[in-house]
Amino acid sequence: MKYAPAILVGRLTRIAARLRKPGGGSAVPGLVVNTIAPRYLGTTLSGFPRGLVVVTGSSGKSTTTKMLVAILRAHGEAVFTNPSTANISQGLTSALLEQADWRGHVPGDVAVLEMDEGHGARVMQGVDARVVTLTNVMVDQIDRFHDSEMVAGMLGRIADRAHGSVVVNADDAYLERIADGLRDGVAVRRFGVSPTVLAAAPRGLGHTETSPERLDPADGVVVASVDGASAVLADAGRDVAIGLPARGTHYAVDAAAAYATARAVLGEQFDPEVAARALSAIPAVFGRGERVTVRGQEVDFVLVQNPASYQLNVDSIAPGTDRILFAIGSDVRDPSYFWPTDASSLGRVSIVSGSKADEAALMLAYDGVEIDRVEHDLGRALDDFLAGPAPTSGVKTIVFSADAMRRTRAHLGLTGAE
Amino acid sequence: MTLTIVSLLPSLQNTNGDAENAAVLAARARWAGLDARVVAVEDPEDLPERVDAVVLGSGSDASLERSREVLLGLHDELRRWGTEGVPILAVGTGWELLSWGIELADGRAIEGLGILAGRAVPRDGRAAGDLVVKASGGLGLLVGFENHARDYVGAEASTLGRVQAGSGNGRGSGQEGVRMGDVIGTHLHGPVLAKNPRLADAMLERACARSGSEYAPGERSVEVDRFAEAARKLQLRAAGVASSADA
Repeated sequence: MKYAPAILVGRLTRIAARLRKPGGGSAVPGLVVNTIAPRYLGTTLSGFPRGLVVVTGSSGKSTTTKMLVAILRAHGEAVFTNPSTANISQGLTSALLEQADWRGHVPGDVAVLEMDEGHGARVMQGVDARVVTLTNVMVDQIDRFHDSEMVAGMLGRIADRAHGSVVVNADDAYLERIADGLRDGVAVRRFGVSPTVLAAAPRGLGHTETSPERLDPADGVVVASVDGASAVLADAGRDVAIGLPARGTHYAVDAAAAYATARAVLGEQFDPEVAARALSAIPAVFGRGERVTVRGQEVDFVLVQNPASYQLNVDSIAPGTDRILFAIGSDVRDPSYFWPTDASSLGRVSIVSGSKADEAALMLAYDGVEIDRVEHDLGRALDDFLAGPAPTSGVKTIVFSADAMRRTRAHLGLTGAE
Repeated sequence: MTLTIVSLLPSLQNTNGDAENAAVLAARARWAGLDARVVAVEDPEDLPERVDAVVLGSGSDASLERSREVLLGLHDELRRWGTEGVPILAVGTGWELLSWGIELADGRAIEGLGILAGRAVPRDGRAAGDLVVKASGGLGLLVGFENHARDYVGAEASTLGRVQAGSGNGRGSGQEGVRMGDVIGTHLHGPVLAKNPRLADAMLERACARSGSEYAPGERSVEVDRFAEAARKLQLRAAGVASSADA
């Protein structure tokens, strides 16, 4: 009962926000409720009967969260989860409000939350998680986190909130150190890749520091092999064949993370076959490797969020793709940390756009990429790109940062999956 | 002949992509019709016989000790390059390691290699954001980003230039970086040479003069520098510095 007034205010704020911006999700209701009822978020997150599962790390958390939710639901669990765009406290509260009844109660047996690595430690103050899953430590937005130690420190604080188990990527040396420092009684579960998979990754796994040794299949869930958009997970002596949402070793690693986490959450109830079916049925992840039909033509969307995803996703664009729009928005304030990546495989880009178009063009030019045009106005760039000639090879491909993705979807009238 | 550009410790000292400045030098040299290669030096054994330019990027504080160990093995070479006029660009903690020393916030100190005057000292809070410097020596405005947790003192007699926006060396000095002959230390991180082609070309001119060849920017440099110019203009506007100061 005590949260009813705050919930009412939050609801009204949401209605007002929707009137102002139809179709738009908004963090404002969450902000309002967090202000007038600061304990609502923590209390609600702590109140799920089968506990709270948190997925965090530098990259792969959205995909891992979606995969984990799919596996748990396939096992019949009632899961509350947050959209990936709502992974900081206002957004989380807004997401809870979407589902809450008038008292603020949110249905579901278990909550699976993707949490921003920078905000998670604060959101998790006073909140206990049953399971915390850590994906990796990569050099992320430099404005926020000046170095990997800082990211690892934040992940460590989130992991400290786990009372059941912590699931770590054994190939990440930073995460192994966090696992070593956990208090007694917290179980550590691991996932990782086999030596063959690591050897086949042209640029390694992208971790700031890769562990010197690979995970023994006896000690966790191992990605035994990856072949295009399918993979085999080795789990307790059993080979589990799965389909991936798109080509790429990182999806197989995300799947192993989700699989290992689901095992930790479900215990005896976990069924490898159910998990494999659920993983294989996951559609292409929103915005990343997604193929859409716009204005009567097929277009590939490729999202780049940090150097690791940039490299993996740029590498996954078929060589010879000759119609590419490349848009970097204001979410990338300082593009410096992208410079160690190599986009030379793109060869030629038709239009570079977004508010960071010049910085992006400069970087591509030094990678040896030919640039036909720089167009700061993303709307005009999209219109001209889509109206332009069809590609001689592949499909038209739009590479964008998260901010440029949102603007692109808004301009094209595509409703976001979330 | 081939210009050999050494990238020092790229595995430890490339937090913000600073090590990529070696590739920028090599690309510009190739666009000028010269042969150029980048040699990554992680260990004294990797050193090539001839060195024409050196880039040392910034790392994290956790890598300071490890990087220092390796750099100590190159101490004689670094000194020799400095006196022989080999252009050296050192960024962030890479620069700090070449200084007299680094005072850490917890009271510990790390002795530097003493190649550059001055020392790094703790500052209140982190300096992160745009950094614009009016550099002397015909380099015009240097535009880029800074992100550091320490100030720099003792370089007042030979700085890289005056701060137009941002913190730079801090402590009220209004100055940024250090420059001793052809050795430059700066907080400007990331692709500073791509963003500031005049500085890149000044380094290449020096490197070529030493090797008895001539450097004139190639056509492709001129094209690519248009992207740099546009990016600089936007950043100068954001930082509230008039482009006209870029003389």
